[in-house]
Amino acid sequence: MKQLPAEFYQLMEQLQAVDFVLVELTLYLDTHNGDAEAIKQYNHYAKERKKLVKAVESIYGPLMPFGHSYAGQPWNWDDSPWPWQV
Amino acid sequence: MFTLYKTYQPYASPFDPCKPIKVKTYSTPPNLYIGFQPPNFPQFTPMEALRAGTLWKPFYDPYYNPYEKASKGGYPS
Repeated sequence: MKQLPAEFYQLMEQLQAVDFVLVELTLYLDTHNGDAEAIKQYNHYAKERKKLVKAVESIYGPLMPFGHSYAGQPWNWDDSPWPWQV
Repeated sequence: MFTLYKTYQPYASPFDPCKPIKVKTYSTPPNLYIGFQPPNFPQFTPMEALRAGTLWKPFYDPYYNPYEKASKGGYPS
């Protein structure tokens, strides 16, 4: 099957890190609605994630189905390697 | 000194059939001391946070078994 280039792994790790920060900030903001600083940081990382996902998907292909990612021709979101195989 | 693990000495009866456990350790995680999280808490960088398991430095509470206690103890690499 296609071998993934090295920069994919760095981008994927950055995406995982940004995702984790977003999860933490979401949980924090659930109980701290008024914290403008955290909201600013959340929006910053949300924008950052969009760029990262574009970069990762340009190498890897669609990460998620159901409209969360653009599909390739032919239908390729279910091709290997799956995330746990990467 | 502030620690995240506390110890106590259980009573050991002279009639105990087995070797008594002299010191027992229990965990006291940071949330006991922090309560409702104040704003602008110190944070890890995203990469460190991914390894530390939390974004906030004061909540970092790793577990190392007694054998690896000495070697690792600092912040996530």
